This record gives sequence, structure tokens and C-alpha cells, in this order.
Amino acid sequence: MNDSLTPSLAWVNGSDAPELASVDLGFMALTDSASLIVAATQGFAQPYGLHINLHRQSSWANLRDKLVSGELHAAHSLYGLVYAVQLGLAGPAKHMAVLMGLNQNGQSINLSRALQYAGVTTPDALDRRTHQSDSKLTFAQTFPTGNHALWLYYWLASQGIHPLRDVDSVVVPPPQMVEHLQAGRIDGFCVGEPWGASAVQQNLGFTLATSQAIWPDHPEKVLACSAEFAGQYPNTARALVMAVLEASRFIEESADNRRSTAQLLSAAEYVNAPVGAIESRLLGEYDDGLGNRWHDHHAIRFHGDGQVNMPWLSDGMWFMTQFRRWGLLREDPDYLGVARSVQQLGLYREAAEALGIAVPPSPMRSSQLIDGKIWDGSDPARYARSFKLHALADATLVHADR
Amino acid sequence: MLRILLINDTPKKVGRLKAALTEAGFEVIDESGLIIDLPARVQAVRPDVILIDTESPGRDVLEQVVLVTRDLPRPIVMFTDEHDPGVMRQAIKSGVSAYIVEGIHAQRLQPILDVAMARFESDQDLRAQLHARDQQLAERKRIETAKGLLMKMKQCNEEEAYTLMRRQAMSRQQKLIQVAEQIIAMSELLG
Repeated sequence: MNDSLTPSLAWVNGSDAPELASVDLGFMALTDSASLIVAATQGFAQPYGLHINLHRQSSWANLRDKLVSGELHAAHSLYGLVYAVQLGLAGPAKHMAVLMGLNQNGQSINLSRALQYAGVTTPDALDRRTHQSDSKLTFAQTFPTGNHALWLYYWLASQGIHPLRDVDSVVVPPPQMVEHLQAGRIDGFCVGEPWGASAVQQNLGFTLATSQAIWPDHPEKVLACSAEFAGQYPNTARALVMAVLEASRFIEESADNRRSTAQLLSAAEYVNAPVGAIESRLLGEYDDGLGNRWHDHHAIRFHGDGQVNMPWLSDGMWFMTQFRRWGLLREDPDYLGVARSVQQLGLYREAAEALGIAVPPSPMRSSQLIDGKIWDGSDPARYARSFKLHALADATLVHADR
Repeated sequence: MLRILLINDTPKKVGRLKAALTEAGFEVIDESGLIIDLPARVQAVRPDVILIDTESPGRDVLEQVVLVTRDLPRPIVMFTDEHDPGVMRQAIKSGVSAYIVEGIHAQRLQPILDVAMARFESDQDLRAQLHARDQQLAERKRIETAKGLLMKMKQCNEEEAYTLMRRQAMSRQQKLIQVAEQIIAMSELLG
């Protein structure tokens, strides 16, 4: 028995053993799928009697469909995707479950070389370009209600650019971003790594802003499943969370582990990108393609002693405030009630405690975002209405605006 | 429309099952007499269900059923005159989804086939889960063995051995089990 690595095996032989011997897990080709790929291939689920079958998906829409139909038991997911399905904003509504956070940080907004040559290399220059030119710029993100749309919107709005009026947005699957940029079909994109670094390294674009500059240690990908799955197979879900938690901890144990993680991810069946494009930003080494290099103190992280993996209620609620802000929700949802039903705090607590990972006492956390605003989950409805640039669409507000 | 493969192992009552099937609106895509090559027939015809009509399922018939269940699993319904519970148990164990002794009535065929198909599906799920569990347990044992060998070779503790194996696997874009097999093979080679 592998007791030192898995101190909590007592329940495996009892009634707490996983109901399923194998789970089908979906992922997108992104650096932030690392903990799932490491867990599946490096024997982290085996001690629990669980086998993880990885299934790479071609787009977030595809992944969403398979998660909703049950073809995938669980998946690497965008917070914004999970809550859109929960609220019925992306097709039919289905009750969803966020089992744990997979990572914070590690996304970026990138612009084309053509814009660089036109002198658009700063937020101010972009502001001028969008307000003084007749032709609208086109930015790509990865899913209509997804995190990248919301990071892009948040960043543009923080610079005084209205994301729904001043620019056009299109949806492109992450691995195809660079190709679309090269073909000149888009002027910029917001996406997870390694695709930003890849554009920089191929000399096709530059990084204008990192997502961690918008919100240091922002919530990003989650491990999600349907509420039905979590309810029907709680032991399987918990074993999965434990395996992924241990893999997350392993990745962050040393720089060597991070480097070998980059090697593994670069394989054709996972991220399918050169190891150089993955490794640098995975290690926090940034090069924006404009001659600036720095070590980022809020680079992608997978564990952070459990801070990353905790399914914070305030993280889930934030995405609903942005749906509200941009008119995707015509009225306020029961922010706290919905977050409580989606974020699987109880299950996460059991898994984390069994592994000796600290669980924060409060399910809310407080952060300051790029526009100076504080988000702590305390008054989501007011927060959603507090932005200068927005697309709030309801009767009371139109009235208030007059 | 169900693709039915019919095996007639009853020389004295040729055609009784086919007549009942036709009456009930089923179409038989292939019919053959003695089964000596059932897996090959299943491979060629790719039926949704196999019906075997036999006076008494002998050992050679059941052997054919075992082969199909192992290699090309399909729902198998056996119609027979054999009342012996021992034979029935043998048949079910071989992989027969439904064992019907009470003659053949056209109006009962549909529910019998429905039950057989449902039973087959749940058996298949169970088999797949068991297979996954077995394979997983076997892999885990090999990884434990490799870890033990590495601890001895490198004079390190368990956690260090796991980390070394994982790092090696990841930097070669392999699974942990592959590196475990390499360590075991190398250790066998070096004696």
C-alpha cells in the first residue's frame, strides 16, 4: 500500500469506495488543464480504485454539449460556462456542480503585429484607435459567456472602451487563435496559455495585458460535472477531487516538477504545442513581444496550499455579476443561493481535509481588481450595477439612467 | 429493425423459431444449422441479437457462446426443451442473456427480446467496470513493484521514488505505468 502518499485510504475498502471504476473526463488543449492530465497519467487516481479516461475536446461548445448530455462525466471547465449552463444562458438549463478550482491566472489579451506597427501598443493607444477610427477592431474570445469574454470585457471597460459597442467580438476555439491572428481575421484575442505565448514566440503578436493584471489570483478553470453526477456518484466525485488535488500539489512541489509538467503537456495528444511556448509562462517567465521581460508574481498556479482549489462562493457569484452587468441576465439571480447550489463546498472540504489541505474558514474572499473596485461577495446586486460602462438591460435601470 | 442471427440446432423441428419470428414481424438476416463457427458468423453478419434454438445445449454449443461473449459480445437468447436447472445455469454462465424453456409463441417474442437486450446492456456495463477495476489493480501492483526496486537502487524513500518515476514519465510524455514497466524490465535484465 502506498500509505505515505495517500494517508486517507481507510474509506476505499469500505462503503466509501468510488461507485464507478472509471470516469470520462473532458479537457481543452490549454496549459491550465495540467492537473487533470497529470492526475490521469501519473497514477494519482489509482490508489482510489479510479481510472481517468481523458478526452480532448475541439471547442468549449463541444465540451459543454458532452458535459450536459452525460457523455463526459466531468470536465475542465470555464467558470463562465458552468454558470451559463446553470442559468440557461447557453442553451437549455441544467443543474451544474463545481467540484474544485483547477487554476488561477495564466490567460492573456494579445494584439496583432499589424496593430503594433500602427503604434497601438498601449491601452491609451488602443483607446484612441477604437474611438477615432471608423472601422471597428475584432477581438476573439473562446465562449460567448466564458471567462475570456468576461476578462476581455472587464479589461476594455477598465480602459474606457465599451466592449459591446466599440469593438466586435467573435468566438474562436483556443488552439485556433494564433492561426486566425496570422490570417488577419482578428485583431486580437483573449485566451489561456500557451496560445498567447505562442503568438509572441512566432512573432505574430504581442501580449497587451495578462489576466492576472486584471485580477491578481483570479478564478479561472474549474473541475465541473452535472449536479446529477455529483449526487449519484459522490464517492467517485470525491476520489476524483482527491486525485486532482494531489496532482495539483505535485506540480507545484518544485521547479523540476513544473518543467516536467510542461514536457508532458506539450505532447500531441494533450496541448500539442512546443514545450518552449508552454514552459516559460508556466514558470512565470513572461516576454510580451515588445521587449519587456519579467517574472510574474501572479503567474498561473494550480494549488497554492488549497487557495486555488477551494470552490469559493464569491468566485462563483462574480461571474453572475458580470452576466448581469453585460445584459446576459435581465434581472438579478439569487446570487448566493445559486452559488451555494453549484459550488460543492462540502465535498471539497471532505477531500481536502482527508489530504491535510487547509480549508479556509470563510467561503468568501476579497480582491481588488484593475479598476480599483473591491469584490468580496457581500453585495453582488449592487456590485453588478456599480460599473460606469455596462449593458444592464432592465426597466428600472433605464429609468434610473434618465 | 433488429438484425437477428438465428441458429437452428434442432434437426427434428426445423423452422419452428423462424416461423414464430416471421409471424411476430421480425426479419432474420442469417440462419444456419449447427454452430461450429459462431464467432466467425457473428463477425460476418454483425447481428444485434443471436437466437439459438436447441433441443438441449451441449458442451460444444456453450463453448461457442463463451467465445462470442468474450470476443464479440451480443445478446444471446436460447430457446430449448432442456429443463435441467444445471444445464440452464451452465448456459447463463456461458453468457446467454435469456433462457426460454416454455416453447415458442410469436406474441411473447418481443418482450423476451426486450428483456434479453436490457439484461445484456447492464451485463456489459458491469463487465466493463470490472475489467477497468482489474486492469487498474494490476497497474497499481506493477507501479508498487517498480517503486520498491527504485527505492532499493536509489536508496531513497517512497515519496522520492514516486517523484523520480513521475518526473521521468512526464519528461518523456509517458504514463507512470510505462516507466514502471521500464524499471522492472531493466531490473530483470541486470538481475
